[in-house]
Amino acid sequence: MKKSILMVLLAGLAFSAANAGEYDISVDRVQIDTGDFNKEGIGYNGASPGPILRFKEGEQVTINVTNNLDEMTSIHWHGLILPFEQDGVPGISFPGIKPGETFTYQFPIVQAGTYWFHSHSGFQEPNGAYGAIVIEPEGREPFRYDREYVVQLTDKHPHSGDRIMRNLKMSADYYNRQQQTVGDFFAESGEKGFMATLKDRMMWGDMRMMKADIEDVQGFTGLINGKGPEQNWTGTFEEGDRIRLRFINSSAMTYFDIRIPGLEMTVVQADGNNVQPVNVDEFRIGVAETYDVIVHIKDKEAYTIFAESMGRSGFARGTLAPEKGMTAEVPELREAPLLTMADMAGHMEHGGMDHGNMNHDDMAGMDHSDMGGNAEMDHSAMGHGSMGQGEGETLPEDPFYAKGSGLMPTASNGGKFLSYADLKAQNPLYEDREPTREIELRLTGNMERYEWSINGTKYEDADPIVLQYGERVRFKFVNETMMTHPMHLHGMWSILDVGEGKWNPLKHVISVAPATTVYMETEVDAPGEWAFHCHLSYHAASGMFRKIVVEGGPDSAVAEGKQSEHQGDES
Amino acid sequence: MNQILKNALLPAMVLAISSGAYAAGEHGGHHGGEAVGEPGKAENVSRTIDVTMMDNYYEPESIAVEPGETIRFRVKNEGALVHEFNIGTADMHEAHQKEMQMMVEHGVLKGDRIDHEMMEMDMGDGHSMKHDDPNSVLMEPGESKEIIWTFTEAADLEFACNVPGHYQAGMYGDIEFE
Repeated sequence: MKKSILMVLLAGLAFSAANAGEYDISVDRVQIDTGDFNKEGIGYNGASPGPILRFKEGEQVTINVTNNLDEMTSIHWHGLILPFEQDGVPGISFPGIKPGETFTYQFPIVQAGTYWFHSHSGFQEPNGAYGAIVIEPEGREPFRYDREYVVQLTDKHPHSGDRIMRNLKMSADYYNRQQQTVGDFFAESGEKGFMATLKDRMMWGDMRMMKADIEDVQGFTGLINGKGPEQNWTGTFEEGDRIRLRFINSSAMTYFDIRIPGLEMTVVQADGNNVQPVNVDEFRIGVAETYDVIVHIKDKEAYTIFAESMGRSGFARGTLAPEKGMTAEVPELREAPLLTMADMAGHMEHGGMDHGNMNHDDMAGMDHSDMGGNAEMDHSAMGHGSMGQGEGETLPEDPFYAKGSGLMPTASNGGKFLSYADLKAQNPLYEDREPTREIELRLTGNMERYEWSINGTKYEDADPIVLQYGERVRFKFVNETMMTHPMHLHGMWSILDVGEGKWNPLKHVISVAPATTVYMETEVDAPGEWAFHCHLSYHAASGMFRKIVVEGGPDSAVAEGKQSEHQGDES
Repeated sequence: MNQILKNALLPAMVLAISSGAYAAGEHGGHHGGEAVGEPGKAENVSRTIDVTMMDNYYEPESIAVEPGETIRFRVKNEGALVHEFNIGTADMHEAHQKEMQMMVEHGVLKGDRIDHEMMEMDMGDGHSMKHDDPNSVLMEPGESKEIIWTFTEAADLEFACNVPGHYQAGMYGDIEFE
């Protein structure tokens, strides 16, 4: 009770700070110790990850970012709705922040939830330049919990971003450790028959892709809040606590499948927006996504937070425990899934990649009906993964994966695995209405040259996508590659079409699995110029990126006035 | 100035109320098999308590009663989703959540509405998914219902919404015996 009175007093005293906050961030060279290796990287306020920025909905924030590097930098406030010149993308929103300079960001906080921030310059983000943002809502949260933790994941690699990019350009499978071997070929021949295996292999050879090619940058150490598996980040609790975990995937390239063995998780928020609560045993977090879950711990045991990478080449691990030092069992990595013919289907149908040596006869045996019907081939590939001996008919289906996809996740305890189809807005922000037009974006690439593109065109060769203020655009993503792409639109919400009409959830990242078509709609309500890209760092850097130009606005004069006002503040 | 002060104070006051609820929320479950009470008669009602259901929480989040007291709960769903008001122990709620999960899987519960026809359907062996327990009311947005309940003796009770995920997200309240 005393505590409550104190809180009221403190809140009363702090009212001015609650409506206008000033924050200082320095961009620094830092040392990153993962437990597996030590490496120089980039961080904020002397550390990687940087600080957790805690804002309040309705607050006017001023953030002074000082660049202590000897190169240009920038900070992008991932998922925040703000004036475009505050969005922090060099070459689109602003020129960037020069070495030694301080740039002052100023914008109102118009939303609540879990978000993050990161550099949008070069490969500073994979090198460590990221942090978390937690925004407290103006009213009460529509859920209850006793304590909360940010759980920020990343895939820290011993190589610098520049070096990884160079190596990928030199050889796209440089970091792919799970290439199948001759030994695998004979083992598979025994199972499937020699001709089927040979046919399968020849197709994959034609694709210039490896069947195990789910993660193109392996060899990382998974970190939770900057701690490697051995360093074991630990969040403490008291018996009976309900704990809100704010998961943020700040990885350069890695999707994680997250579970806490022994605990059910209730997903209450996705990408900062409250969703109708869903109880799950496990969920997959795409690169740059966030999910908030609530867990209820009724005893005094320790529980492992286990985040396996989607391709099972690495993991992050942390612990929830009544006291620091307590640990729980760390599960083994499950076997790596393998892509199936189903995951190639989009690629084959559209012929999106460059394949001079792929003639039409090869394609003839591979039409969609054949793939759908060839359950045996899909099944045998899946048998290597986590799905065990399940029969084809009983395999769960998820509309956000190709039918028979090797990537289709299942919960390790046989329970509920979150699907995009489960996400429904708790409190829809926009009226549901018919889109004014549709824009098709084919996600394309040439794996051999490690070129990634949209509609076959790289960023540097592409015209911007021009939208009109006030329209509602339906984007159709057609993934013609065999990789999963987390597509991130800046500045405006991505309304993911899960077939629930007005309940379709708001997101800032839409993950598109191989050989699938996914729709999202956007209310074009933010004038200016915005970035739109795949959030896999090396895909964005090699061309899977577009500039969006929003023409018109509620009052262009006001927008310009704002801009000059900000420039005035900086000088 | 006043507006600013009000904005700053509001969340703190919400916190003060809910932290009171947390303090009382130690559900040891050690009583086991305790009496949850029974449906009450209108002539025995000593008090009426208004409960508002929001997405996804109750107002108030804690209710004080005396052993032997009969209370009329006037429950209104002011949210945009289907909610339940159910009096029981934590274990009873957990068991009921499995039933509600089934209602969702069979399309009886649809987020913001209830398929009453489907709910009445005979599932075989005389079972249906009818939601007619006397300790519970299930409501679509905008609906109001009443429960008259006699709390025969002190017990570890909660009122809760067992629509899948809602209880876990925090849609429960404590019944404290004075």
